[in-house]
Amino acid sequence: MKNLGSDKFSSIEAVREGLGRVSYITSRQVATTVYLAYHLGKPVLVEGPAGVGKTELAKTAALFLDLPLIRLQCYEGLDEAKALYEWKYGKQLLYTQLLKDKLDDIIRGAEGFSEAMERLRLYEDIFFSWQFLEPRPLLKALRQEGGAVLLVDEIDKADDEFEAFLLEILSDYQVSIPEIGTVAAVTRPFVFLTSNNTRELSEALKRRCLHLFIPFPPPELEREIVRVRVPGIAEGLNRQVVRFIHEVRKLDLKKLPSISETLDWARVLVILNAESLNPDLVRDTLNIFLKFEEDIALVEDRRHQMVAAAVKEG
Amino acid sequence: MEELIRSFCAAARQAGVRISTAETMDALRAVAVVGPGDRRLLRHTLGVTLAKSIPEKLILEETFDRFFASGPFQDLPREGGTPGGEAAGTVGRDLSPLSSMLLMGDQAGLLAALGAAAAREDLGRIQYGTQVNITAWRILESMGIAALDRDLEALRRGGERGAEETAERLGELRSYLAETVREYVRRQTGVAIEARRGPLEEARLRHANLSGLEMRDYERMHLVVRRIVKKLNDLYSRRRRRARRGQLDFKGTFRRNVPYQGILFETVWRRRKVDRPQIVAICDVSRSVIRVVRFLLLFLYSLNREIVGIRSFAFCTNIVEISHLLERFKVGEALARIQNSVDLDLIMGRTDYERAFGDFRARYIDAVGPKTTVLILGDARNNYNDPCPENLKAIFDRCRQLIWLNPEIPSLWGTGDSEIRRYAPYCTKILKCYTLSHLERLVASLLRN
Repeated sequence: MKNLGSDKFSSIEAVREGLGRVSYITSRQVATTVYLAYHLGKPVLVEGPAGVGKTELAKTAALFLDLPLIRLQCYEGLDEAKALYEWKYGKQLLYTQLLKDKLDDIIRGAEGFSEAMERLRLYEDIFFSWQFLEPRPLLKALRQEGGAVLLVDEIDKADDEFEAFLLEILSDYQVSIPEIGTVAAVTRPFVFLTSNNTRELSEALKRRCLHLFIPFPPPELEREIVRVRVPGIAEGLNRQVVRFIHEVRKLDLKKLPSISETLDWARVLVILNAESLNPDLVRDTLNIFLKFEEDIALVEDRRHQMVAAAVKEG
Repeated sequence: MEELIRSFCAAARQAGVRISTAETMDALRAVAVVGPGDRRLLRHTLGVTLAKSIPEKLILEETFDRFFASGPFQDLPREGGTPGGEAAGTVGRDLSPLSSMLLMGDQAGLLAALGAAAAREDLGRIQYGTQVNITAWRILESMGIAALDRDLEALRRGGERGAEETAERLGELRSYLAETVREYVRRQTGVAIEARRGPLEEARLRHANLSGLEMRDYERMHLVVRRIVKKLNDLYSRRRRRARRGQLDFKGTFRRNVPYQGILFETVWRRRKVDRPQIVAICDVSRSVIRVVRFLLLFLYSLNREIVGIRSFAFCTNIVEISHLLERFKVGEALARIQNSVDLDLIMGRTDYERAFGDFRARYIDAVGPKTTVLILGDARNNYNDPCPENLKAIFDRCRQLIWLNPEIPSLWGTGDSEIRRYAPYCTKILKCYTLSHLERLVASLLRN
């Protein structure tokens, strides 16, 4: 099994800067985890509120490493046939029909039943070879020559059986296909799993991963993220937006706005040519970062004080 | 370092974090990669490799801070001559290693000696504060305090130049050493003693009679309930999965391929319908069950978190649906809202099972179908009114099973105004339920049949 380019992982700072270069601003802790994942050869299990950049981390890691990203979106009922491989049944059936005539050629001249069987046996594995195999994301990731970043998204949505089935891949980077044998990774893929914690994952799975929790970022970090991701934004507005969002996160809402919502809002404000927050502007754009009627009503009532606070301190 | 990480793992384990040998090895490898120099980095590294959930991460970080609180011998006095100075003339001639380390101010050496001696003692096993002194003494002995005492004696008797002075310093250092070691043992075992409370606490919660529980225990209890519910979910999905496993449907395949002159071209797979757990829970929140009502609601809350498509109702005089409250609010708030009937049309008068079940029958009976399990949590104390079992029968007839959880002890069932015997014919099962172990039994019965 080969290893991915190691010059990019010379130090934690190098990883952090590398991710920063592809527009992923992150804390030292996240960089440390990625650095460790590389050096220990372990998958990373990323948890955290929706929209803090769990999936984004895997995507940027792929950019950073200059590798293809292979994504497996989990859902209830996901099984091996969808995740690992499937036989191309249609093609198999078609070929059996097409080759039916050839059958005569093969068994012509055979003396007796057992000799015909003997001759047929020489061909029996034909229909269970790579040619008739449809590789799905997991198998694809293992068979990438140059390595890949494998993202198993929202693993908590999949069934327990699927989790159990992932174990072999995560610890040994190999899978068993009964008809063909064990397929080991050409180059060890870099694996990210994300979870929204809708259910508890099994101990066995967690044990095989590094556990990374990405919380909402502190204001300085979030400002820097906005600066990088929304290039046109003025520094003053950036401060106010981040400040306001942090105020909103203190409220008791159904769904707290996360980084992706901050970015959306900042983009909208830039498009609207806003220079500074004011209560009307906030009221008109609340639905960008709040997704529930009740939440919007709650913030709408308090927007005057919150805007005042954000503008003053920003 | 290795020894240190290993004993940290032991401390964390006692704090209730499950850490396997493999994980300890992982942590060691990770520490080897990042190096032990940076304290914050080390803390994060251990968190990433050892923790498996967010609560565990918090426990680990707490343990880390306690475990790696400032090390011993940081404040070793170094007064007097530097090594090589005048004092060094007398020092180091025929003194024991321990004495010379103390006099030379060799922190690292002392730390190593202490570490080695402590490792032999297995501090993790200490359970009581009274064991501290004796253990500290044993460590001192194995560090070589006897030899130090002999040195002291020799110096005092010798009467050489400067020996008097050295003896005095060594005497001071000796008591410093003894104090440091005692402190070290106390802290290490403090970690162990404080840490060990976790599992015990859990066991206590699981078997406590829940009316006596205090507020601060609820967070913990919620976790226990979650574990039970998870067990339920796991078993369910396994059953579901087995039922769904598809096989090639030969008849279907042939039928589908008739248009292609019977050449098998498309395949048809056998699939069975997914059977999700459907639960309707009805909870009595009246005064007669006040002692356990929070427990019942908490259980309901946890169920609501874990099972999709559960509907929850609460009743006292009348019945109201509370699913939305359980979904929307944090556990403490949801419970408070239900109990104080905030924004609910719940009438907290006399318990009225007739009206409650009657209302349910009239308004919510559609929630109950042939696959539904109905859970009723209550003591069936109806203030001597007509219990009207027909209402329960109507629910029972529609559902797959009806389980009644009674928070009273069985010998009280049917006494006074308890109507549980009248309702019994229409229950698939009646279970006593006032501790978490009883709930576990419920899980099993939910899954049977």
